[in-house]
Amino acid sequence: MIASTLKCARSPAEALAPPRHPSVAMLKMLWADKFALAAAIFLLIALFCAIFGPSLMEEAATKLNLRDRNAPPFDTERGWMFVLGADSLGRSILARILVASQNTLLIAAASVAFAMLVGGTLGLIAGYSGRRVSDTIMRLADVIMSFPSLLLAVIVLYMLEPSILNLVFVLAITRIPIYLRTTRAEVLEIRERMFIQAAQVMGASSARIILRHMLPIVIPTLVTIGTLDFAFVMLAESSLSFLGIGIQPPEITWGLMIAQGRAYLNQAWWLAFWPGVAIILTTMSLNLLSGWLRIALDPLQRWRLEMGGNNNAN
Amino acid sequence: MSSFIGRRSLSSGISLIGLIVLIFFLSRLTGDPTGLYLPLDASLEARDNFRVVHGLNDPLIQQFGRYVADILQLDFGESIRKARPALEVVLEAFPWTLWLAAVTLFCVTIAAIVIGSLAAFNVGGPFDRLSGMLSLAAASAPDFWIAILGIFLFSVNLGWVPTSGTGTVWHWVLPVSVLFIRPFGLIMQVVRGSMINALSSAYVKTARAKGVKERSIIFVHALRNAMLPVVTVIGDQAAGMLNGAVVVETIFGFPGIGKLMIDSILQRDFTVVLAAIMVTALAIFLMNLLIDLLYAVLDPRIRY
Amino acid sequence: MQNVIKTIIGVSLLGAAISSAYAAGDQDVRIVLNEELDVVEPCMAARSNVGRVILQNVNETLTEFDAQQGGLKPRLATAWEQLDESTWRFKLREGVKFHNGEELDARDVKFSLERTVDKSMICEVGVKYFGGTEMAIKVVDDQTLEVTTTPAQPILPLLFSTVPIVPDSTPRNEFTRSPVGTGPYEFAQWNVGQNIILKRSNSYWGEQPAVETATYLFRSDSAVAAAMVQTGEADIVPNIAVQDATNKDTDFSYPNSETARLRIDVQVSPLDDRRVREALNLAIDREALRGSILSADVIPATQLVVPTTSGYNKDLKVWPYDPTRAKKLLAAARADGVPVDAEIKMIGRTNIYPNATELMEALMAMLQDAGFNASMQMYDVAEWNGLFIKPFPEGRKPSVLQAQHDNAKGDAVFTAYGKYHSQGGQSVLNSAHVDELIEQATSASGENRASLWQQLFAEVNGNIIADIPLFHMVGYTRVNPRLVFEPTIATNSELQLSQISFK
Repeated sequence: MIASTLKCARSPAEALAPPRHPSVAMLKMLWADKFALAAAIFLLIALFCAIFGPSLMEEAATKLNLRDRNAPPFDTERGWMFVLGADSLGRSILARILVASQNTLLIAAASVAFAMLVGGTLGLIAGYSGRRVSDTIMRLADVIMSFPSLLLAVIVLYMLEPSILNLVFVLAITRIPIYLRTTRAEVLEIRERMFIQAAQVMGASSARIILRHMLPIVIPTLVTIGTLDFAFVMLAESSLSFLGIGIQPPEITWGLMIAQGRAYLNQAWWLAFWPGVAIILTTMSLNLLSGWLRIALDPLQRWRLEMGGNNNAN
Repeated sequence: MSSFIGRRSLSSGISLIGLIVLIFFLSRLTGDPTGLYLPLDASLEARDNFRVVHGLNDPLIQQFGRYVADILQLDFGESIRKARPALEVVLEAFPWTLWLAAVTLFCVTIAAIVIGSLAAFNVGGPFDRLSGMLSLAAASAPDFWIAILGIFLFSVNLGWVPTSGTGTVWHWVLPVSVLFIRPFGLIMQVVRGSMINALSSAYVKTARAKGVKERSIIFVHALRNAMLPVVTVIGDQAAGMLNGAVVVETIFGFPGIGKLMIDSILQRDFTVVLAAIMVTALAIFLMNLLIDLLYAVLDPRIRY
Repeated sequence: MQNVIKTIIGVSLLGAAISSAYAAGDQDVRIVLNEELDVVEPCMAARSNVGRVILQNVNETLTEFDAQQGGLKPRLATAWEQLDESTWRFKLREGVKFHNGEELDARDVKFSLERTVDKSMICEVGVKYFGGTEMAIKVVDDQTLEVTTTPAQPILPLLFSTVPIVPDSTPRNEFTRSPVGTGPYEFAQWNVGQNIILKRSNSYWGEQPAVETATYLFRSDSAVAAAMVQTGEADIVPNIAVQDATNKDTDFSYPNSETARLRIDVQVSPLDDRRVREALNLAIDREALRGSILSADVIPATQLVVPTTSGYNKDLKVWPYDPTRAKKLLAAARADGVPVDAEIKMIGRTNIYPNATELMEALMAMLQDAGFNASMQMYDVAEWNGLFIKPFPEGRKPSVLQAQHDNAKGDAVFTAYGKYHSQGGQSVLNSAHVDELIEQATSASGENRASLWQQLFAEVNGNIIADIPLFHMVGYTRVNPRLVFEPTIATNSELQLSQISFK
């Protein structure tokens, strides 16, 4: 009894002691949150597939076999490659998902990162600077918001060849306003807080105030939206493919697989289901990880993780 | 306040004009509509005639001049595809979209605020985890997936609601439900996020110290301050919906502006595209104005 | 919008009777089309969805093509004869009334014909069937008119099976939105975006059909449209995708008169070499595609017209699947210095027919297996048009292009000129012999005409090998079991309500 009390009393004290190395502390905190740990492992696997998938699986992902068309999943006869079933041309869905992870993650990550960077920067400027600059930026956001994304896609992909880079450009542009407007809204609120006004009075430069005081508060919100946007971008890419103006076969992305599976939803659900699951798992992992990161980076909340796994039981 | 609205209208007007000019010229770069409207076997002569009748042969600048002159007389041009005034076509479709967006957002806002706040109140708790995961999974599922599964489950198998179309209020159940999912996930997350911030802020702690009831802490003190980013996200979602919900409209045969816009773009029916953008852009500008005014109401520290 | 408000108010009245709210009356049918109609103008009836609503239901034609038996049937004209090479005389049916009460006479027909070919109207029927034909129309008396054409038109009565007749009170220079005709159904209502309603006419000259009202609904998604028949919300869906046709009792396949092919760009090296074009054809395993990506009912094609067409050449044989021989031909060509390893671009069009993209992927794999350096690219219609129709882009690369051709009219003239004449809009051929055959056949009639067309297809598909013919395609119609209705080859362009009856 006494021993256990002692033990309990010791662990927070241990956590408060300076860790050997910051990365070790981070890993410890990750270990403490099992959901985040699973998410991190999943993302690592996805990343591995994205890098090595195409070179390992290309052959299996493109080999036609019309006799095994729409072969159902969990059928052991065809070997483990067909554990998720075969698509409408008899190709292994598992292999295709692994190969497609490269294009998919590349497009989504690049689009979200680009939109977040541009939107966030413009939002900080719009929120912090004077009325004229702010108005101009906000009207720019209005213009982008009113510009139908599909029209933009048609214009860009019609004038330039449909390529991954151009697709990223289209997807990123359409997502800028959401980061811009959110950032600005937060900045408007933070600007009025006491510590910012104190910093201004003390003569801190605008750049310093924005980067040191505002950005850390804004970033968690941006990351939350960003992880959700990751799914949105993958699905937007899917609908572009469906309309014939996005990525087209023989390229593969998860979105394209979903678009192609749509016609078979009634007869062979697995065609659109598995790539959909891949998107959902990726999004959820990102979100869990970002939730964890948010806590881990927040000095006021970090104790939840440093307390160890116990906290998660509630 | 009124000078703010005046200034805002002026700058919005300017950007609307910019948008129209941009789209007028950019959209013409996407190719000649002639081939889309004539049978494949149409002779070169017939193709030429088509261009002459629809004024596609004139230099772009001249076409633009004519378009502007017509607009000033409130003539938005004729739809090539529908052979009737473009504005009429757009104004037929827009109310459907407006209603769909309004009904959906109303449901989403209420649900997201309630569930998001409850989740924020016990961060890391089972309710928080569960609602977070479910909403996230639903929001990242392809919408046509949910739509078609919904039709097969609730219409074909259970027979509760009609599969698609318009006519009775029952026809709205499935489209609204499908449309609900994505913004709900997003808005709920934002509500949760900013509620967490608000609950840990000084004024909530003060309220707590004063012994104010927890429920009123959440719904009166914290929520009001957490609403700023929430309102922004709702506005963004609303803007997206005013541009139409293509998948839902296509699957459920809902005659809204999303389907109209997509068909008009693919058919290069420029006048309808422009008229549709003008109408939706106007709605979006108005809504953003409303949101900025709401900021000031929600947070008295913000002045214009 | 008022409707919406009304319905929202009316919810409480609906109560539990949801199902009855959308079940059709006994003698009413609901037909689901895949797109909302943009226009309902009769002279646009050559577009398939306009045709399905208007043709022979609201507006009738002078003659009617019998797509199953071949040959022409009288409709509004009871008899016709050729007076000289370029003049035809038509006798009209007596006692026919338009829905607005006017009597049909020769002046209405003259008005309709002139309106259809009017340049300022740009009617689909006029552009598609009367391009390059001048008509002089003389009203002889109330029931008789004579039509003189330049150049002579040996199949004028057949062409007239495409022209819907409207009363001369119809607006002359604009599309009507409330068409008036002589048909068994009146155009009753058009709720834009929602439905079109036809009601049975009381003054029809012919036999009264069984269906009282027809409501046309619009759903682009095949799965949803098919489900509507299942739930009883609809009665007929003329066109569902092959993968949605899962119920033998309700789903019927019909030849839809479309023929799918890949057009070979014979002007660009290495496709200018006949051996390479033959190898392309030998590399395709047509049997493997049947019953997998495409319906089991499609028929491997040898030429661009369907077997019921006058002028179909039945001596042409379907290309066998022989990749070994294809490789040999390629090797021989390579030995002669033909750049057979050049990349051949396969140009596809998204949704040109169901599963079009998958078909192209499969074809690409087959060509690659036979040793071609094939790559594919799918385009949307507008871009695809730019590659399919003249003027072709400068400096183009070797390509084969996915296309589909519809000729339900029984004569090869609707195919030959545009596809194969050196002046034809989509033709990559430049052969004096082909041009001559087409010109001769166009002005010939009877047996001679059919024989000339057969020679043309022997030349184009047997000798030159200008195409990779794929299949004569089929469509699927889902019909509610309470109806008796069988789709035919004509279902692609019309849907006569008078052919529907109830069990």
